[in-house]
Order: sequence, then C-alpha cells, then structure tokens
Amino acid sequence: MIKIRDLEKIYRTEEVETVALNKISIDVKEGEFVAIMGPSGCGKSTLLNILGLLDDPDNGSFLFNNIEVAHFNERKRAELRKHNIGFVFQSFNLIDELTVFENVELPLIYTGVKSGERKKRVEEVLDKMQIMHRRNHYPQQLSGGQQQRVAVARAVVNNPKLILADEPTGNLDSSNGNEVMTLLTDLNEQGTTIIMVTHSEHDARYSHRIIRMLDGQTVLENIMV
Amino acid sequence: MIKHYIKVAFRNLAQQKVLTGINTFGLSVGIACFSLFLLYAVHEFSYDRFHTNADRIYRIVEWWQGEGREPGGAGGAYTPVAEAMKRDFPDVEYAVRLKGAGCLMKADNKVFHTSITYADTPFFHVFTFPLVYGSTRTALQHPNQVVVTKEKALQLYGTVNAVGRILQIKTDSAFEPYTISGVAENIPANSSVKFDLLCSFERIINHPEVQQSNKDWYMTIGMEAFVQLKPGSRLAYEQNRLDLFRKKYYPEDQRPRKKGRKAIKKEPEIQTSFRLQPIRDIHTNPQIEGGIDPKNIWLLITIAGAVLLIACINFTTLAIGRSAGRAKEIGVRKVMGSRRAQLIGQFLAESLLLSVASAITGLILAYTLLPLFNQLADRKLSFSPSRFPELPWLLMGLIILVALLAGSYPALVLSSFKPIEVLKQKIRVGGANLFTRSLVTLQFVLSIGLIISTIIILQQLSYIRSKNIGFNKENVVMINAEGIDSKKIYPLFKEAIQSHTGIVSVTASEMGLGSGEGQMGWGFTDYLGKVKGVIAYPGDYNFLNTMSMQLVAGRNFDPAIASDSMGAVIVNEAMVQQILGTTNEKSLGKQIKNAKGDAAPKTIIGVSRNFNFEDLTHTVRPQMFYRPAILQPSRIFVRLQAGDPRRQLALLDASWKKLVPDAPFEYHFLDEKFDNFYKNEKRWSAIAGWAGGISIFLACLGLFGLAALAAVNRTKEIGIRKVMGATVTNVVALLSKEFIKLIAIALVIASPLAWYVMHDWLQAYAWRINITWWVFAVTGLFALFVAVTTVSVQAVKAALSNPVKALRTE
Ligand SMILES: Nc1ncnc2c1ncn2[C@@H]1O[C@H](COP(=O)(O)OP(=O)(O)OP(=O)(O)O)[C@@H](O)[C@H]1O
Ligand SMILES: [Mg+2]
Repeated sequence: MIKIRDLEKIYRTEEVETVALNKISIDVKEGEFVAIMGPSGCGKSTLLNILGLLDDPDNGSFLFNNIEVAHFNERKRAELRKHNIGFVFQSFNLIDELTVFENVELPLIYTGVKSGERKKRVEEVLDKMQIMHRRNHYPQQLSGGQQQRVAVARAVVNNPKLILADEPTGNLDSSNGNEVMTLLTDLNEQGTTIIMVTHSEHDARYSHRIIRMLDGQTVLENIMV
Repeated sequence: MIKHYIKVAFRNLAQQKVLTGINTFGLSVGIACFSLFLLYAVHEFSYDRFHTNADRIYRIVEWWQGEGREPGGAGGAYTPVAEAMKRDFPDVEYAVRLKGAGCLMKADNKVFHTSITYADTPFFHVFTFPLVYGSTRTALQHPNQVVVTKEKALQLYGTVNAVGRILQIKTDSAFEPYTISGVAENIPANSSVKFDLLCSFERIINHPEVQQSNKDWYMTIGMEAFVQLKPGSRLAYEQNRLDLFRKKYYPEDQRPRKKGRKAIKKEPEIQTSFRLQPIRDIHTNPQIEGGIDPKNIWLLITIAGAVLLIACINFTTLAIGRSAGRAKEIGVRKVMGSRRAQLIGQFLAESLLLSVASAITGLILAYTLLPLFNQLADRKLSFSPSRFPELPWLLMGLIILVALLAGSYPALVLSSFKPIEVLKQKIRVGGANLFTRSLVTLQFVLSIGLIISTIIILQQLSYIRSKNIGFNKENVVMINAEGIDSKKIYPLFKEAIQSHTGIVSVTASEMGLGSGEGQMGWGFTDYLGKVKGVIAYPGDYNFLNTMSMQLVAGRNFDPAIASDSMGAVIVNEAMVQQILGTTNEKSLGKQIKNAKGDAAPKTIIGVSRNFNFEDLTHTVRPQMFYRPAILQPSRIFVRLQAGDPRRQLALLDASWKKLVPDAPFEYHFLDEKFDNFYKNEKRWSAIAGWAGGISIFLACLGLFGLAALAAVNRTKEIGIRKVMGATVTNVVALLSKEFIKLIAIALVIASPLAWYVMHDWLQAYAWRINITWWVFAVTGLFALFVAVTTVSVQAVKAALSNPVKALRTE
C-alpha cells in the first residue's frame, strides 16, 4: 500500500537547516499495523505528515496504492487524503465550537455525503465507540479518554483504508490509553491499515511491526510475533 | 509602574505591526475627517464674534407675523430709521447704515468690476476691521475718501501701502477720483459685514433716490442698518419700546385694510415690527432672510461623528481582538497578584499611546487635506488658533474622548477575565462575541446609510438639473451692463453684433436671471384681498422670444404698438391663477393696479407659460414682464448658435471694447447661473459622498483587521478542517459567512432609516424624485461585494497555509 524510497525532508529557517528525513525508505502493506518509535526530534511526525499527504517531501519517491504522489499539489493531495486517510492526534484536535456529533460529521461534509446518510453513519460510529450518549456535548465537557474516542470516531467515520495516529495515547492515563489501543486493534482486525507513532513500548506491542528511527533514518525493524 | 506600562505597551504594539498599523491609520482618518468638519462647524458658529463690541452690535430688522404665515424677517432697512433710532433712544451709541452697489474701478488704466460700500462715519467705532495703513478715526471723514482692503490694494497696485493714491471709481456715468485713506486687513471669512471698497455715506446722501427714500419711510434702497447700544442697555429685549417707536413713524400700520371689500376669510392681520438682531445671530438665524439653517451644520457634525464613531469602533474591536491572544498574559498577571486597576491601567496606557499617535497623524492629515476640503465645502477655512481660540481645546478633548471611547471597553472587559477561565483558554474574543458583532453591524449601518443617502441626493440633483425648466437656458451669454450708460450702448451693441453668423438673437433686461441675480417685486392685491408679491421683469420687446419662453394666450410685445411700452404687461399662468383667480383667456385685456396704488394701471396683453426662474425648491411664483418706456438694462442676453462659442465670444468682446472701452467685458453663461442654484446641494452631496466613501473605507479597514483576527484566532480550527478535507473555498466561506450575515442585518436596519431621512429631505423640493428600491439593492450588493473581497483576502491566506503548521502551534 505504501512504498517510499529515499525520501528527504529538509526544514530551512534563517539560521539552520534541519534534515528531518534523511533518505528514508519504508514499505507498509495493506492490513498492517505498524508502530514508529524513536527519540524526540528524530522525524517521526514529519514522516507521518508526509505519509498522510499533509505535507510534501523535498526528494524521493512515495507510492500510495501504486500511484506516485510525491509531486502532487495541495489540491490533489487533499482529494486523495479525504477519501483514504484518517488521523488521530496526541492533542485530539477537536474543534471546540462544535459538538461531538458535529466534529465526527466533519469529514463526511467535506466528502459530500448527504445529510441523512451522514446522520446514520455518525450515529453508527459513535455507537461503536460508546459515546453516543455524549453526542451533543462539547469537547471541553469530556474527559481526555472520551475526547480521544471522539477523535478516533472522526478518523474512521469515512471508512478510510489507512489510519495515521501520532502518539494517540500521549495525553492519556494508562486505562484510557489501553481503551484507545483496543479500539485501534479492533479497527485493524477489520482490515484498516494503521501506522502509529508512539513513545510507549507497551503500546508498540499492539502492532505487528516496529520501525525504529534515528536522525531521520530507519535503524531497526522489529517484527512482532 | 508607568514606565513598565509604556514599555509593555510598546512591545505589544510592535509585535502586531499590521493590526497596529490598521488601528492607527483608521483612527487617523477618522480624526482627520472629524477635525475638518469640526473646523467647518466652528467657523460657521464663529461668525461676527471678532468684533470687540460684538455683544452690543445689533442689526435693525423688520419682522412680520400673522396672516397664517411663518413669522420671519429681513435685514433691509428704510433709510431714515437708523437715524431716528439714534435720536429717540438714548441707549443707542452709534447707528451705521450700509449700502452696497456694483461699480467699476480704474487704476493704472486697468478697469475692474467690484463693489463699493457706503457707510456712516462711526463704522470703525462699531465694527472691528483694523487698518494696516491709515487711521480709523479719519479714514471716512471726507466723502471723497475710500478705504480698500489689502486684497484690493494688491490687485490694483501690486503693493499693500496704497494710502494717498487716487482711485477712479464709476458708479453712474463717469469715473470720479477718490483718495485712498486707509488699507484694511482682509475681511475675515466669518464676517457678515463685508466690503471691497468702503466710502462715506455722505457721498450718496444727495443722490435723488436717497433723498427721496429719506423722506418716504416706506421706500427702500436696499441697505442695512446697525446700531451699537451702550453697555448695559436691554433695548433689544424691550420690544414694547421698539413697538412704540414703530407706531410713532408708521401710523398707517394700524389702519385697517381692504375697507370696501367684504372680508371673505377671517385671517389675522399681518403685524410688522422692528427688532434688533444681535450681530452674532445673523449668520445662523434662518428666520431672517440670508441666515443659514444651523440644522445643516449639526447634520454635518452628525455625519462627522458617525465617521469618527466608525473609526473608534474599529479601534475597539481590533484592540479587543489584539488582546485576545493575550488572554493568557492577563491570566498569568492576575495569578501573580496584579490588581484589576493595574490591568486597566496597562490597557489604557496602550490605547492612549495609540490614540495619541493616531491623533497626531490625523491632525497632520487634516492639515494637508485642508485645501481640498476648502474646495469641497466652498470655504476659506484655516486651523488658526488666533481666530478659533477654542480649537486647541476641542482637539485635545477629542483625543482624550477617542482614547477613552476606544480604549475603555477592551480595558474593562479584559481585566475582568477570570484567571482560571483564561488559563483554560476558553474565551474567544474578536469577531465572535455579541458586543463586537453589534459594533461591526453599527459600522455598516452607518456606512450603508450614508451611501444610500448620497445616491439619492445625487439622483435628485441630476433630476432637477435635467428637468425642463420651461425655457431654453443653453447657449445664452449674459453680459454685465452695470456701471455703463446702457440705455445708449445697448442698442448700439445689439446693432453691431446681431447680423453676424452664430448670433441668434440679442435682448436685454433690467434684471438678471439665475442664481445671485436678485429680483424685483411689486405688491398686488389678489382676488381674495391679500397682498402678494409679483416678480417683475422690465425687459426688451424680444425678451420672451430670445429665451424661448412660450405664450399660452394673447400676444407678445410689439415695437410697432406704441402702448406696449406704456403699461402693457405679459403675466405668467401662476399670476393668472393666484392673483387674478380667472382663466388665461379671461385675463386678457384686464387692468391691474399695484397694491399701494401709486403706479399707473397695467393692461394684460398676454399670458406666458410658467417657467422656473428660481431654484426648484419653489413652485413657480407669479411673474410679469413689461417693456419700460426707457430701457436701462443691467444685463444683455445673447443667444448663440449651439457649438463651440469661442469665436462668438471673441466677437462680443471686440464689439464691447469698441463701444465701452472703459468697462470690462464680463459675462456668464446662463445655464451655469442656473446650475449655481444647486451649489449648496452639490456641496452637500460631495460632502456626503466623501463621508460615505471614507466610512466604507474605514469599515472595510476594520473588517480587514477583524478577518485577520478571526483567521488568527481560528488557525487551529482551520488546520483541523483542512486535515478533514476542507478546500480553500470551504474555508473562505466559513470565514465570510459571519460577516455576510452582519452586513445583511446592517442593510435591513439602515434601509428604512436612510429612506426616512431622505424622504424628509426631499420634502424641501417642489419637484422631487421617487425613492426607488434598487438604490437599496445596489448599495447592499456593493457593501457585500466590498466586505467579501476584504474578508476573502484574509480567508484565502488562512486557507492556503499549511495545516501542519497550524497544528504544530498547539
Ligand atoms: N516546521 C518546521 N520548521 C523547522 N524545523 C522543523 C519543523 N518541523 C519539524 N522540524 C524539525 O525537524 C525535526 C523532526 O521533527 P519531528 O516533529 O518530526 O520530530 P518527532 O520525531 O515527531 O519529535 P517528537 O517525538 O518530539 O514529537 C526536529 O528537529 C524539528 O525541530
Ligand atoms: Mg512528534
């Protein structure tokens, strides 16, 4: 599903030039659950953003479902992204002014789903995440675990083939964290490909494979048994 | 502490350069606009106060009331009244008569049209017009002395010190020498009493007309009279004394009128009295002829206030918005134990700093724009603290007011944030809360209202300018024939030019036509027994033909019929209806006599179709034309063929010079004279148009800032939405939607208000347009378009930014 070769990303500011990704090459097959680990600043988030088509690489090749997307412009990337990829962030990134229902509904609006259909699908997924009873609450009125469940609901409502999660448990205590990991595992078992950045060896154990990074490169891959 | 405030204020302002810039600039424009309008208003209200004795100088006015008409008066005084007052009232210290006339003056063989004012010798005791050269004591001592203004001295001799020079002045038939006895400072623009050349009243006292008017207490020669009362006198407010005076000299007032007639309607008799009008009241009392309506000045101040308010609203919303990002700083400061008063101090310091900066820029802007504004307002204003000592105070007050107005709300609101809430970052200010929304809506209500009004004013103006006024005013040159022996020269001039190609017709009249030309009226008793004024035009035989005025009954004047220059008149339809109360046909051949009965009766030989000889706030008044036995025209009218008039004008000029070498060829185009009726309206629409434009500009500036703030405040949200698949269009729509809603609300509020005000304004016109719905639609669309464009600039910028960055700022 994902095949990147010699991918480079360099951040240039006035004084310094940071090589965030240094000719990195990775393959992810459909249905896989991959964890990415490494010290802070090694380029994990940068990689995830490029895999999620939020950002573009400076060099190298990126095949997404066998299509070369490294040179895609913003509009094409957005088109591909909204139909195929869901995101879960460490800080949830819910919109404070919208209710739980409206937050989850958002991706469906932007992919042009009709309102009746939207209602059905949002309720379905809220039910699955067991936060149906909170549908009319605002994010600030929820606990961190509940917020992250809403974020996962939002990520999956469009039935994406790929879910990217950047430290999804980073802001949660262990029981809430485990709940989120179980959710992700369930999704993976139903066929969704998952790539997750984490600092927690415990969470990484939920995955099939761990990619370890250092200074913008992969240094080691552990296959889980 | 204060140093700390200012330091932090500077740092904050420097951090947000664009918003700070918008803030300052908008307020500067508002302040510039307001101070110019303020200057205008101060100028209008400052008329005549520069006289040292201003509070003791009064103009003698004649006041009418009764007969169901609005009470009112006029300043034209009868010749003997001033002297009689001085004689009868010990309170009167000085009495001064002023009589103005057109004249020609000659110096170094150059000839100019100008005006001369004859004044009684105490002139300089009463009025404060300092002399640059000469002495006010002796300047008017001899009838052959003349005082000129600095301006005239420069025009004549190229130097100010002209004392002792001999100036040739021609008022009747020949130039006569006058010695310049003084040079006066130029007359201040805010003076009701004006002169170019000033001469003693003695000079004309022996003139037969003046002699006669000095005996006939009802005859007026078009002069004004002022008195200066002794300190402490209350004569002006002791109306009974003035009434006794009136009774003594005008016993006929009391005689009942229309004895022989049956009284058809019982109407209260008109009552005439003398009043003393304070000189400071002359310019702004609309009840007495020539005074302007102070309502208009207040209206102007209101418009200026609206513009300033818009600028202040900008300042407030942007200040709130700017501080939105600082909610955390406030929270921290509070947790650290900062008291509320200290926080208020901090924010006030900031807005004070900004508003003082804006005020200084604004005043510089106003100063630079003053010449332009003077053109627009048709005034000669200057920021002169010596003429307007209150100006520095007013402007200082303005700055403080603006600082408080614009700075207090953000200071109060922000300092009251509960620290915990702030730390939780729950608060969203700028563009979102009800207060800011109302302010933005108010801004647009004002701007939209001003634009709608401007459009309607312009429509009305173009309507009355294009309205067929009943005769052909195009291609007519009106030549000034004052100060020449026109009864001899007119026929010669006519003879010399009329056969040339390009000259269609030549005629003349003893009265001019159009704005600023003056009118002559006769009183006639109407069929109900009331005296009404009729405007009289003593003109040549072919006056009506040349002007393309039409006859609806009877015939035109005919040089072959001898009686046509002895008592034959052509009256207009209005006169037939209002004075004679009959039909056009029946009025032919009727004899009419003036109300006083002192002139020979006239015979009606024709009826002319009504035409508008005044501005279109009036309906057509009764009017009559006659051919005097001896025609002494003051205006010669030449109708030219349409097209480039230069060749014909050169011909007129050359023929004029040949016949009258000692008077300049001075002319106006008649259509311009009629356009001048609407100078006021033109001025007003220009002012309203500018104010509307500036207010829209300011409102957009505010919107721009607000949109920028909204975009900044919602950076994260926009980022999330983009990750979820929002396109640029989605984001622009998201950000514009709120503003569009506000503008729609503003349109709904502004439309009926503007309609009401404009409907009221239009009532002043006898001929007026209907207000159409599309004016509101167009204005609404325009406001929407401008607002959406402004907001889009910001929205697109926000929409194009990389969402990853937005989420990283977390
Ligand atoms: N927009 C940017 N501009 C400049 N440098 C950047 C930018 N984004 C990231 N970097 C730099 O690129 C490098 C990789 O950053 P990245 O966010 O991918 O690290 P990370 O592995 O996700 O770290 P963490 O575990 O702390 O989240 C870092 O050195 C970071 O400072
Ligand atoms: Mg990271």
